[in-house]
Amino acid sequence: MSKAAPRLAVKGLRHLYAERPVIEDLTFTLRAGQAIALVGPNGAGKTTVLKCIVGSAEPAAGQILLDGLPIDERVEVVRRDVASLLDDLDFFPDLSAAEHLDLLARAHGNAEPEDLVDTLLDDVGLLAAADQLPGSLSSGQRRRLALATALVRPRKLLVLDEPEQRLDTAGVTWLAERLVEEKKSGTSILFASHDTTLVDAVADHTVALTPLP
Amino acid sequence: MSTADPVDGPVVFDPADFGAIPTSKELRRWMRKVRRGKADRSVWQQFEDIYVVIFALAMLGATGGNVVLNLNDRSAGCTTASCGWLLDTVPLILVPLLVSGMLRVLLSIGPVSASRATGFWLLATPVDRASLLRPSYRLVMVGAVVVGALAAVVGWALFGANWSTVGEAAVLTTVVLLCTACVTVWAQQTGARSRWALRAADGLLVLAAVPALLLAVRPREEGAAASVVLGLSTVPASEPFLSAAEVRLLVISAVALLVAVALVVFTARSLDKLSRQSVVAGGELLAGIAGAAITLDVSLLADVVAGRHWRQVGRVKSRRGRGSRGVAMIHREFLRVLRWPRRLVIGFALLVVPYAVAGTGYDVLVPIVAGLAGFIAVRPLMDGLRSVCRSIGLVRALGMDLRELRVIMSVVPGAFAALWAALATPALGSPAVAFAVAVGMLTGAVRQASARPPSYSGPLVASPMGAIPPGLFSTPIRGFDLLLLCLAPVLLGLSGTWVVAIPAAVCLILFAVNPKQA
Repeated sequence: MSKAAPRLAVKGLRHLYAERPVIEDLTFTLRAGQAIALVGPNGAGKTTVLKCIVGSAEPAAGQILLDGLPIDERVEVVRRDVASLLDDLDFFPDLSAAEHLDLLARAHGNAEPEDLVDTLLDDVGLLAAADQLPGSLSSGQRRRLALATALVRPRKLLVLDEPEQRLDTAGVTWLAERLVEEKKSGTSILFASHDTTLVDAVADHTVALTPLP
Repeated sequence: MSTADPVDGPVVFDPADFGAIPTSKELRRWMRKVRRGKADRSVWQQFEDIYVVIFALAMLGATGGNVVLNLNDRSAGCTTASCGWLLDTVPLILVPLLVSGMLRVLLSIGPVSASRATGFWLLATPVDRASLLRPSYRLVMVGAVVVGALAAVVGWALFGANWSTVGEAAVLTTVVLLCTACVTVWAQQTGARSRWALRAADGLLVLAAVPALLLAVRPREEGAAASVVLGLSTVPASEPFLSAAEVRLLVISAVALLVAVALVVFTARSLDKLSRQSVVAGGELLAGIAGAAITLDVSLLADVVAGRHWRQVGRVKSRRGRGSRGVAMIHREFLRVLRWPRRLVIGFALLVVPYAVAGTGYDVLVPIVAGLAGFIAVRPLMDGLRSVCRSIGLVRALGMDLRELRVIMSVVPGAFAALWAALATPALGSPAVAFAVAVGMLTGAVRQASARPPSYSGPLVASPMGAIPPGLFSTPIRGFDLLLLCLAPVLLGLSGTWVVAIPAAVCLILFAVNPKQA
């Protein structure tokens, strides 16, 4: 691994849906401690870019490098370093909010995560709902729990798809502050968002995507 | 509409300004008319669909009927005391089981249910609620009658009862289940009643377990003549047209039918006491079950039921895990199993099945029946695996690949399967057969739990039922195929080496293969 390599490099990315290109020749780099926001209207391919990066979609062409090496979610290091929140997250119906975070922290090697879990539950405003099962949480609370799942584990790269979704104004403010802190601690952030306040507060650069004809 | 103060007072609606509240019949007629206007299928096309359904049911009925007739003939030929004892015991097991099952199933769906749309658009109106809910109520009652009659006919016929006894059993069982259905409608009116009814269902399960246990542990009486078959059926041909016992039964049946009809009518009048929330919840569950049934996805069916259970539970006492990585996940799976202890209790209660079958002397059936019972026992413990297999996001979050997760999440169910099969060993006959059963139930359940749902986004195959994804019809047997494969050496009477080697190979291959992500 080269130390000079950017945390994430996307080169000439191309993706097709039913043979129709939705992303064409997309190139950008993201360095440690930086944040890039993907912006653009619905259907511009923001989520698709994120899916290609986390391995949920296969690009038709191009390269995606994490710390100089091709990103492949089958590689343990990639799963360890990339924390993501896309719309494909589901929950265990019989585990409480606290137990989800506890399990996730432990699954990533943290054998004593109690304090971290409590702090995070407090941070995302779910302390009172710590014992609730996902089915009994509101959609906003589930979103907060989902955000917490990305923050309870070790990470070098945070990939977030519209993290402001279903959050109230105070929630978006908290999120912006939290992501800025993440940057300060060296985490790179790639996120798609429609919220200009969040983009302005967090992103160092923006990549504007437009729907292809 | 009139207003108290046209300038700045509140707007007051006077019901008299509106027309009369329509009856539910008028509403239904109106909806039928609107729907007909939007129908995109001709009467002939609908007739074709109905024809396919009727033809399929007739084929299934004829095949099933033939099988039952044949088995009845064979069982009727058995005159040993064991067979007679079995026939005496069947009602004591079957009827409480049926009533308990009916209570549980009906209470989980309502039993009176309505779609969310009906709940929002119709049940919120002042239209007579009892009348709106009556079609659903009728469906429940008809369902209870059909289930009762079918279960009794199959249950009694399989154990060799003569056909007059089968008929009597069908009438009485149907009446009992009809009354049970009425009780569930009554219980649906309040949460407390529902809880009591569920407790009664549990009690009936225990009641059914007692004769099953007696059957399992009673000593074999090979060659002894049957002393009793069923008191009601031992009528010599030379006796009068109706014996005293038959007259008594006729009277009992008539009274029971009258009671059932009265109960059905009485309960129908109380439908307006059902809350909108209680009927819509059942409707949502039915919609989920219907979705799972359309895709023939047994796992999705289990997801829907389990999901509803946990939504109702809502809150639990959080328990922190232990260790890290794989150990932490195994520990969490263990805690998860303990969180719904009823499943464990039922799982272990199913141990009575192989012993009961062994007690009847049908030794050849013991391994396959044990395998099926074990599969049913272990499958509910696979919810964790099911959750990760249907969510790629969850797999990513956990930071392991799906093959690793599948191995880790099978440890606790695997331990349960091993314990279950070990406890069933005396009935199964040998440790090698117990091993085959344990591996069969585990690999089968793992394969079913990690199944991907049928994808309608890929190429579809034309069929009389419309375009279907390839492999749709193999979905229901997924899991059972591995169970059968593991038990094949036992069923074929191969040597002990094969009985152990084939399941071991199946197990190794299953856990070595990387499962496909949903």
